[in-house]
Amino acid sequence: MIRLRNVCKSYPSGDTELRVLKEVSLDVSEGEFVSIMGPSGSGKSTLMHIIGCLDVPTSGSYQFRNQHVGELSPVELARLRNQEIGFVFQNFHLLPRMSALRNVELPLVYAGERKDVRRARAMRLLSEVGLADRMHHLPNELSGGQKQRVAIARALANQPSLLLADEPTGALDTATGKDIMTLFQKLNENGMTIILITHDPHVASYATRVIRIVDGQIVDDQGRAGA
Amino acid sequence: MNIGEMLASAWDSLSANKLRAFLTMLGILIGVASIIAIVAIGQGGKSAIIDVIESQRAQQTVEILPKEVVQPGLPQPGQVLSFSDEDFFIARQFHGVADVSYTLSGQGNVAFRDKAVNTSIEGGPNDLNDLANFDVVTGRMFTSIDVLAHRRVGVVSHSLAQKLFGNDASAIGQVVKVGGQPVQVVGVAVSNQFNLLATFFGSDYLYMPATTCKDLFPWWNISEMDVLVTPGTDKADLARRIVTALNIHAHNADAFIDSSGFLVGIEKTVGTVTSILTLVIGAVAGIALIVGGVGVMNIMLVSVTERTEEIGIRMSLGATRAAILVQFLLESVMITVMGGAIGILLGISASWLIHWFTPLPSVVSWQAVVIGFFFSVVIGVLCGLYPANKASKLNPIDALRYE
Repeated sequence: MIRLRNVCKSYPSGDTELRVLKEVSLDVSEGEFVSIMGPSGSGKSTLMHIIGCLDVPTSGSYQFRNQHVGELSPVELARLRNQEIGFVFQNFHLLPRMSALRNVELPLVYAGERKDVRRARAMRLLSEVGLADRMHHLPNELSGGQKQRVAIARALANQPSLLLADEPTGALDTATGKDIMTLFQKLNENGMTIILITHDPHVASYATRVIRIVDGQIVDDQGRAGA
Repeated sequence: MNIGEMLASAWDSLSANKLRAFLTMLGILIGVASIIAIVAIGQGGKSAIIDVIESQRAQQTVEILPKEVVQPGLPQPGQVLSFSDEDFFIARQFHGVADVSYTLSGQGNVAFRDKAVNTSIEGGPNDLNDLANFDVVTGRMFTSIDVLAHRRVGVVSHSLAQKLFGNDASAIGQVVKVGGQPVQVVGVAVSNQFNLLATFFGSDYLYMPATTCKDLFPWWNISEMDVLVTPGTDKADLARRIVTALNIHAHNADAFIDSSGFLVGIEKTVGTVTSILTLVIGAVAGIALIVGGVGVMNIMLVSVTERTEEIGIRMSLGATRAAILVQFLLESVMITVMGGAIGILLGISASWLIHWFTPLPSVVSWQAVVIGFFFSVVIGVLCGLYPANKASKLNPIDALRYE
């Protein structure tokens, strides 16, 4: 499903170049639950942004479902993010002025779905994450765990093939974090491919495969399916 | 992405910052309101002046004037300033002429006991009240017999009666001195039209029979011939034929003019002058619109910076650059359209208030309303384009990282 080959990413930093990713090669198959672990500054977030088509590699190639991402136009990239990839962020990234329901509807809006279809699907997703009675609340009226559930429901709105989570439990207490991880586990059991970024070994342990990244290089890859 | 959702989203963003949205639309609001109010006052003033001119043209009467009186130029040989008895004789010969009379006017002192008022004096036929647009409210109008008999009688305007006698009733029967000669007051007159000019140039009038006036002021020019036509006569044609005959008699092809043509000319001039004035002041108000537009652009730029994170989130959820562009453009257009709409209401109300509380008439023109609205949309698009484009060019990852 995901095939990264010799991916490098560098940013200009003063006179020198800051090399964040160095020759990263990685394959992820359908249905895997992968944790990417590493200390801060190791390049794991950059790797996730590249996988999520939010950022482009400086060199190297990236294939998503046999499509060369580097060859896609901005409109095609937006469509890929909309249809194939769901994002869950550490600080939720919900739009503060919209109700939970409208936040979940947003990807469907960009997909061009009709209003009744959007509403029905958003309601169903929110019920599935246990927020049937919180649909019309604004994000600041919800607890951290509830916000993250809304974010997960939103990420699932267009039935993506890949779920990307960047420290999804980072802003939550242990118990709530555990609930969220159980939710991820359930999604994975139903066939969802999940890539999760964390520096917490306990969180990483929910995954079936753990990749360690240090200084922009993969140093360890355990539990790879079929490997 | 459908338009209903976009409008809802734009509305949300604006209502999240109500005061800011209102202040931003204020410039557009004031600009549109002042354009509408100024054009309304301009149009109203124009139609009021034209009404006054129109009313000078009595229905059944043709007015003939010496051309030199209305379009003065350098003195020329053969120029005519006053009608002669022969001119009246010529005019009376035409078929379709019911009567011919003349009016003359000038300034003179009207004195009663120890009071004297410098007054506009008009001499005319017994239907002078129709020609000069006044009603006799106390006493009587002078009659045709008064005119024939050169009787020393006169009708004073209300304001003159107030100044000389204190009230209308005590004026009747009093004898005033006009140019040193006694004249008996038989009636008090009140103007029956709104006269813009009277507001500026007093309204002390003395109306007398034309014959009496000519006796008292023999040196005044008879500067107007009023031809009463019989019903069913082509006024314009009759006027042309009389003017031609009078010109032949005066041996001057340009001696006389029919006032209807002359008034049309004045109307055109008044129309042009007020239109230009309205346009100039309107353009000044238009500058307010431009300043308002700059304000909108400024706030939209701030808004794009503030909402960088939101833009990043939307992009991560699959918003295309076009969708982001349209979203911000819609917000700026929404601000200016709301400003424009409130401005239109305010401009119309201002015109009404001016109409009620001042003597200035005002007519709201639908063209000004349409133009005001059109410009508020155009300014919304023009001033929103740059910030919206800036928003759509953000790199999603930079936008997401922005704190």
